[in-house]
Amino acid sequence: MTQLVQALALGLLIGGVYALMASGLTLIFGVMNIINVAHGALLILVAFITWRIWSLTDIDPILLSIVMTPLMFGFGWLLYKGVLSRISGSSPGMSVLLTFGIAITIEGVLNVTAGNRFRSATPSYFSESYRVFGISLPKAQVFGCLAAVLVLGLLYIVLARTWTGRAIRATAQNSSGAALVGIQAGSVAALAFAIGTATTGVGGSILSVLYPFFPASHYDWISRLLGIIVLGGMGSLAGALVGAIILGLAETLTATYGSLQWSTLIFYGVIMVVLLFRPQGLFGSRLRQDVMA
Amino acid sequence: MLTISGVFAGYGGGDVLQGLDLHVPTGAITCIVGPNGAGKSTVLRVVSGLLKPRLGTIELDGTRLDQLGCAGVLAKGVAQVPQSQALFPQMSIRENVLLGGYTLRRDKTLLNKRYDHVSELIPIVAERSNDKAGNLSGGQRRMVEIARCLMVDPSVLLLDEPSLGLDPKSLTGVSQLVRDANAAGTTVLLVEQNVRLGLSMATHGVVLEGGRVRLEAPAGELMANPEVAELYLGGHASESRTARVSGASLPADTGSGR
Ligand SMILES: Nc1ncnc2c1ncn2[C@@H]1O[C@H](COP(=O)(O)OP(=O)(O)O)[C@@H](O)[C@H]1O
Ligand SMILES: [Mg+2]
Repeated sequence: MTQLVQALALGLLIGGVYALMASGLTLIFGVMNIINVAHGALLILVAFITWRIWSLTDIDPILLSIVMTPLMFGFGWLLYKGVLSRISGSSPGMSVLLTFGIAITIEGVLNVTAGNRFRSATPSYFSESYRVFGISLPKAQVFGCLAAVLVLGLLYIVLARTWTGRAIRATAQNSSGAALVGIQAGSVAALAFAIGTATTGVGGSILSVLYPFFPASHYDWISRLLGIIVLGGMGSLAGALVGAIILGLAETLTATYGSLQWSTLIFYGVIMVVLLFRPQGLFGSRLRQDVMA
Repeated sequence: MLTISGVFAGYGGGDVLQGLDLHVPTGAITCIVGPNGAGKSTVLRVVSGLLKPRLGTIELDGTRLDQLGCAGVLAKGVAQVPQSQALFPQMSIRENVLLGGYTLRRDKTLLNKRYDHVSELIPIVAERSNDKAGNLSGGQRRMVEIARCLMVDPSVLLLDEPSLGLDPKSLTGVSQLVRDANAAGTTVLLVEQNVRLGLSMATHGVVLEGGRVRLEAPAGELMANPEVAELYLGGHASESRTARVSGASLPADTGSGR
């Protein structure tokens, strides 16, 4: 019983972090039909920068996200204005090619500047745990998940309560409808891309502590994150949250009752079964067709 | 006066509008009729800025609209209800209507005033304010779409087939709404497949064919025109039946059912 609760608790902690990482990816897809394959590379880039600053200054890596997030917001905005806006209106396939190029560029730069070795930030609490009701919760996982939930909450408030958020959701649901109420697609797209990229500022900082990484780790991460948002429904934030928690639980449960090697297989098995019955994913929506009254 | 002069426009594969000249008088209800694919929707799209004309000009009281884009055209007081799927399906009715006032978002007082006014005018806005737009019927959606446009208190309202897919009762409500908006001073440019209904609402009629204006006259005159009657009012058996049914139900239901 304790074993099960332990696995569930850990699964939720991990799922929270995955949810944050996937949220930016699904937001960007939802608003502008861009599949940002560079999302994983951006996470690894942030992880490297965070790790470097931590190793030089000993500042807490997760706290560093306070600096990394606005930096990545700006970087995302520039990336959109300078590169991605040029393919606005083309197919999602085009965006895969372009962002794959960006991912490889980031990987190459990291290989040259940071070296092709595993890194991991290990702050003082790294191997400590909280004990609650007989289960042990690693401090790093708890801090990571708290930071993720905090940022997801902020993201939710921005999307639900502000005019920027309304404009972003409107564009995602019906782009010509959004144009007709005076929302300018270009600036909304740049903002959404910047916000989506800003989430890697927090996600990458958390990653640097929770997972050892090297430049090519981004392939691993992007496939995991794409799996999450396909399962949840491309473009749906709620779907990303649920997909992320399913992945977190699949990992900890299979690691507890089977072996960790099975966890990926189980997760993709779940994706396949779900897609057989719901091709649009769990929370994916298809625009309601015109139904005669 | 909304003036369209020498407009050529299309979607990349040749021009749909081929040198269109059209005058839409201020304060009137002008109805464009014509066969499927004639370019009626395209006319509204070039006016609202969804589509940029390749050549030609569009002016509202002497101000050029054709290079402004949607937001710019809206700022000049021209709002459009497109043919289908205008709303944000996963948002509430309230949010949909509020978004109609996106360009007024910095003036909260005005925004709230307009919202109150619109929800008084169109009861469904208040009645179903928390329901998702995706769950509405066709007639209810049209009402909300018009409500959304009225948030900017438009001087010109562009309506693309407001009768499309509506039951007779919703039809009455929607056409009454259009007449009310017009009576309150809004110029209306309307596209209708249901020619009898369209021309009965309108003061001016325009027949569009192959991307050009074929006929232009007061609506009553156009209705009496033998060619129009032959082509659009009596020609094809099934079309004439739908036209007659909805046309006939109009006067009887007016004023009730809202
Ligand atoms: N988005 C589009 N892309 C390409 N062609 C289009 C598009 N919309 C309309 N068309 C074409 O333009 C022509 C006129 O369309 P439209 O203006 O919608 O006609 P109407 O509203 O009179 O039925 C049609 O031949 C149609 O196929
Ligand atoms: Mg049309």
